[in-house]
Amino acid sequence: MYIGAPISLSGKFSKEGQMSLWGMQVAVKWVNQKHGGLKVGNTVYKLELKYYDDESKKETVQSLIERLVTVDKVNFILAPYSSGLTLAAAPIADKYGALFNSHGGASDYIFEQGYKYVVQTLSPASKYQVGFLDMIKALDPNAKRLALVYEDAEFSRTVHRAAKEYAEKLGFEIVYEKTYPKGVNDLSPILNELKAANPDVVVGGGHFADGQLLVSQMAELGINVKAASILVAPALPAFYDALGTKAEGICAPAQWEVGVSYSPEAAKKLGIDWYGPTQDEFIALFEEVAGKGTHPSYHAAEAAAVLAYAKAIETAQSTNPEKVRETMNKLDFMTFFGRWKIDPETGKQIGHEMIIMQWQGGKKVIVWPPEAANAKPYYPMPTWEEKAAGKLATH
Amino acid sequence: MVFFDQLAANLIYGAILGAVYGLATMGLSLIFGVLRIVNVGHGAFIMLGAFTAFWMFVLYGVPPLASISLALVIGLALGFVIFYAIFKRLLDAPELSTLLATFGIGLLIEELAKQLWGPDYVGYSWNIGAIELGFTTIPLTKLYAFGSSVVIAALLYIWFQKTKLGAAVRAVVEDRDGAMVCGINVNQIYALSFALGIGLTVASGVLVTLFVPVGINVYMGGEYTLKAFVIAVLGGLTSPWGAFYAGFIFGLIENGSYTILGLIPGVEPFSLTRFLAFMLLLVILLIKPTGLLGGEK
Repeated sequence: MYIGAPISLSGKFSKEGQMSLWGMQVAVKWVNQKHGGLKVGNTVYKLELKYYDDESKKETVQSLIERLVTVDKVNFILAPYSSGLTLAAAPIADKYGALFNSHGGASDYIFEQGYKYVVQTLSPASKYQVGFLDMIKALDPNAKRLALVYEDAEFSRTVHRAAKEYAEKLGFEIVYEKTYPKGVNDLSPILNELKAANPDVVVGGGHFADGQLLVSQMAELGINVKAASILVAPALPAFYDALGTKAEGICAPAQWEVGVSYSPEAAKKLGIDWYGPTQDEFIALFEEVAGKGTHPSYHAAEAAAVLAYAKAIETAQSTNPEKVRETMNKLDFMTFFGRWKIDPETGKQIGHEMIIMQWQGGKKVIVWPPEAANAKPYYPMPTWEEKAAGKLATH
Repeated sequence: MVFFDQLAANLIYGAILGAVYGLATMGLSLIFGVLRIVNVGHGAFIMLGAFTAFWMFVLYGVPPLASISLALVIGLALGFVIFYAIFKRLLDAPELSTLLATFGIGLLIEELAKQLWGPDYVGYSWNIGAIELGFTTIPLTKLYAFGSSVVIAALLYIWFQKTKLGAAVRAVVEDRDGAMVCGINVNQIYALSFALGIGLTVASGVLVTLFVPVGINVYMGGEYTLKAFVIAVLGGLTSPWGAFYAGFIFGLIENGSYTILGLIPGVEPFSLTRFLAFMLLLVILLIKPTGLLGGEK
């Protein structure tokens, strides 16, 4: 049985595309070799990946979906990388009634178009900062003063508007909210105001450069807060290389990291099924496919998307996409990537939680949610003066 | 009081940023003034300066302040090589040829840099303390950026006004044929000016990292190229000093207007600061089409 995918093997997403191909191949390998194929009735299906290079282009993605459905007769499609390409491909797949599973498009907008066959495996943008707020509430109910400082761009706006709404529900007081334009090289006008607002907690960011700049200038201006979660930038090792000990204690949301502790036991505790390889098995298989020393990052989502198809087909006992889509509405299970449960109406992912990582002693550790964490959150984070004197955010 | 505190803080930061903008534009104006070449690859040279500061600090612990002279030397050498290899042949070519050539060189440098250093955003931490003003804090690194920028601009001014070579450059700007008749080797002056322009630009890349020690990336120059063009036009295009003043003013307005715009309810002041700075450009050009120090034409 084919699983089809347009993959960005060239163009601007070629790096991500290659990683996602490996993720898919690992999951296919697990299904065929470790799981013994998919048993539907008396038939045992072996999965096979049918993929083409989409050149990171919208036009190519659309014609490839047509080709996968009409020429290759594929009913189960894995979406391309990025929200833009996913959005371009979704209507074509939906038109042909082929299931379309998004693993690299976090935009909420995709799922507000009324598509029937489009489902999501990774957490949507609106959930990025939500886990961090839950964490703060659990750690320190008195830390009420929240400031939001983020890039004036579609993705970060979606993230932080949702965060603001959620924060107000949790009882946070929004003491400051401002955006800054793309390509900024001095945030001091905003940060001088932020300092005067005296927040306990800061959430914000947007991309790589501005995220680094935000933390760097907060340190320069001596703006001490108890906790901060910044989009994108802190999730990369380059963040710590650039900022050194200033990065200590800074948090960032992430879809997945090596080290998360989702396990069959964790699934049992929640009373849901476990499906697919454990994290160690996944990493071992990944090295077999991609070569020794290559480590998966959040592209583990692709593997989880394949596993979601496998689980849904087995549960439905059918390869009919309509039946499988109906079954998906009732699915609630866990893979090494986290929980998988969709909103029946929109297909949006609601089970998977963003994890929160934190820099502790020069290492990225996972501090939230508790079922995924491999370390305790360090709270409140050390002040800039303490960090300059060499204090690390280690217990 | 909070209003004035914040206005003061923003003006100080704006002045520092403006001085960096100014130096980052002087090279562009110098090259255009003397050779009539629009260097669209400008940003790539700023990026080279930023990486010079980064690598010297990370690999050898050289303080970025000391990297300024190294960057200047690298830029000068690079400028001479590029001039004799490419632009000497294009001196009398149509403007589109030099435009494409600078564009190509910029791309080439950026892509080579990506192959060498990768696409990551890097940075360094040079913690040397700060001055506490009560209403804001100013890191010494930023003050150094300001000071070096002013000193370099002043030295260049003295060189232009007081030395024979400087006079020769001015003569070529004024009247190329006349200068040639007076026995000035115009090609050498072209080479020197081009190299000096690139040298200044690479050196300004070091100052950029003194101001923002993070977010150093092979494509970081684009943002500065855009601003440098605006500032150069504001300053009168052919005048390096005009560019310096204009940069200073641009920085002051970009940051200073934030506090004032913030008084308007319901607006995002940061997005409007740029709008205001570019509006100002339009207004100044309407009143004085040759730019602030552009002279009469």
